[in-house]
Amino acid sequence: MVWAIGAAIPWVVLVIGQLVWFAFDGRWWWLHGLAAAATVVGIVVFVVVVPLWRYRVHRWEIGTQAVYTRTGWLVQERRIAPISRVQTVDTYRGPLDRIFGLANITVTTASSAGAVRIVALDSDVADRVVAQLTDIAALGAEDAT
Amino acid sequence: MTIAHDAVWQRLSARMLLVHPVHEVLRQIPVLIGSVVLGSATGNPMWAVGVLVLTVGYGIARWFTTTYRIEPDEVQLRAGVLQRKVLSVPRNRIRSVSTDARLLHRLLGLTVLRLSTGQEAKGDAAFALDAVQAEQVPRLRAILLADSLAVSEEGADAPVGRELARWQPSWLRYSPLSFTGLAMILAAFGLVYQVGAGAALSDSQLAQSGIDAAERLGVMVSVVIAVVVVLLASVVLSVMRSLLTYGNLVLRRDADVLHLEHGLLRAREHTFDMRRLRGGTLREPLLVRLFGGARLDAVMTGVDGAGEASLLLPPCPRATAQTVLSELIARPDAVTGPLRAHGPAATRRRWTRGLVLPAVLLVVLLALAFTVSVPLWVWPVWAVLAVCCALLAADRSRSLGHRVGDGWLVARAGSVERRRDCIAAPGIIAWTVRQTLFQRRAGVATLIAATAAGVKRYQVIDVPAELAWTIAATASPWVAQTEWARQ
Repeated sequence: MVWAIGAAIPWVVLVIGQLVWFAFDGRWWWLHGLAAAATVVGIVVFVVVVPLWRYRVHRWEIGTQAVYTRTGWLVQERRIAPISRVQTVDTYRGPLDRIFGLANITVTTASSAGAVRIVALDSDVADRVVAQLTDIAALGAEDAT
Repeated sequence: MTIAHDAVWQRLSARMLLVHPVHEVLRQIPVLIGSVVLGSATGNPMWAVGVLVLTVGYGIARWFTTTYRIEPDEVQLRAGVLQRKVLSVPRNRIRSVSTDARLLHRLLGLTVLRLSTGQEAKGDAAFALDAVQAEQVPRLRAILLADSLAVSEEGADAPVGRELARWQPSWLRYSPLSFTGLAMILAAFGLVYQVGAGAALSDSQLAQSGIDAAERLGVMVSVVIAVVVVLLASVVLSVMRSLLTYGNLVLRRDADVLHLEHGLLRAREHTFDMRRLRGGTLREPLLVRLFGGARLDAVMTGVDGAGEASLLLPPCPRATAQTVLSELIARPDAVTGPLRAHGPAATRRRWTRGLVLPAVLLVVLLALAFTVSVPLWVWPVWAVLAVCCALLAADRSRSLGHRVGDGWLVARAGSVERRRDCIAAPGIIAWTVRQTLFQRRAGVATLIAATAAGVKRYQVIDVPAELAWTIAATASPWVAQTEWARQ
């Protein structure tokens, strides 16, 4: 899971930081214990629970009329935008996404508050979605504002 | 319309040869001061003269390097002394034309002409003709807007349409209620200290005599006097500013075009394309609202929603603002009609939010009171704070409401900055339903309507969750046709 690894990286840095701190400064062992415990809890929550939660919430669909997504974990957002108002379709693949063969799609509308992001799609699915959306968007000759 | 002879590169008004150097000198004042200091330090005044000559020369060069051209399908602007750039704007994308004349421009009969398209354009990317002769403006405006507006404004003296609102001296009574004066005083203080005059000031005779006087009067009295002086100054400044900015404001409508003119010293004129109007926002800041006032913003594509650009009416009697808005959008019920309240859950959330701060403070104070002693005056202060928070919560929950139907979405929220957004449903291009953990538990949701106009996102806060999609579906039929919205 990209989300889990993406979340894990900062925590790994934190763990290394703590080890370094412990190596150079051995006093206050209880403080180290407390910090280590907090880190473990953080790792469990952010690397295991949150990605699973996000995965369970996350939905997307492209219908004949509209693009729909549901994202988030604590704050959940459901966003719907009609395909006739789509202006551009962007794909984005970060280094982690590339390792796992995933892609993110951003469907922008004329409003900065109306962009629909579909994250972590399989690459071939993403390509198909982009092709489909650009076809439909090209049909709409209107101003789309 | 004579487009043919416009298709050559034209220069700005030759009078800008006078204006550019002055503006350039004003803009480079810090550098000039620096060069004067450098000149006196090295004993060579040629530094200052050299920099001044360079600055003036640059100002003059700007005129020689700036040209514009109006072609059948686009407008081009070439500018830049060292870094050349060409800006072209397709003529059918021009959404509004605004003009702006500062004092110096007006003395010379010049006007800055700005074109605004749907795109965000900041700083250098903005298309501004700085400046053309004021007599040319109606002609240029007519040419530039001819493509995007089907209106024919033949000749310089366009037919004067119906006047929607005209500035009244009585509007001035709302201006002391804003914080602009206070902000100006603070800005002036900041500037003085930044320049380093603060240190010089505290050593001066004036400050010394002030401190002496304060010592004679005692702390309490001098603080009161200082507060009163600052308040009076801020009121005077606010009134002056709003008189200078909005005195002679006229809002006029010619068929599909909306004209707004205001400014005594710095004359500004905006032209809006009515077909781009997607609604309006009535803003009622708390103090202004107490005195029955309101201000009006346009919600329009291609016009920045926040700030001066979209302003239609400064604080004025609420009835005026409402009348103007209902005339603009032709739907009086959207402007003044009753709103549907958001129910007990939303009210409860307003109260919990309002009372969290006093509650936390109370716990802290009690804890302190049991460990160390707390001065007695703290408790009345806490009580006043709590009452204020409670009033705020009550007002916020009372403001909350929405109205949907007949192609309009109306949402009202807020207390200190209460606003009533009236949005045309066809202009809404996406819907978002947002729920935080607490909102899910309370069974409410925030509905966000995204538009290309105004501030881009308009929120309906804390509607009952089951109503959220119903509202969206009522406003935009396409939502109702997708099965996602039904669950």
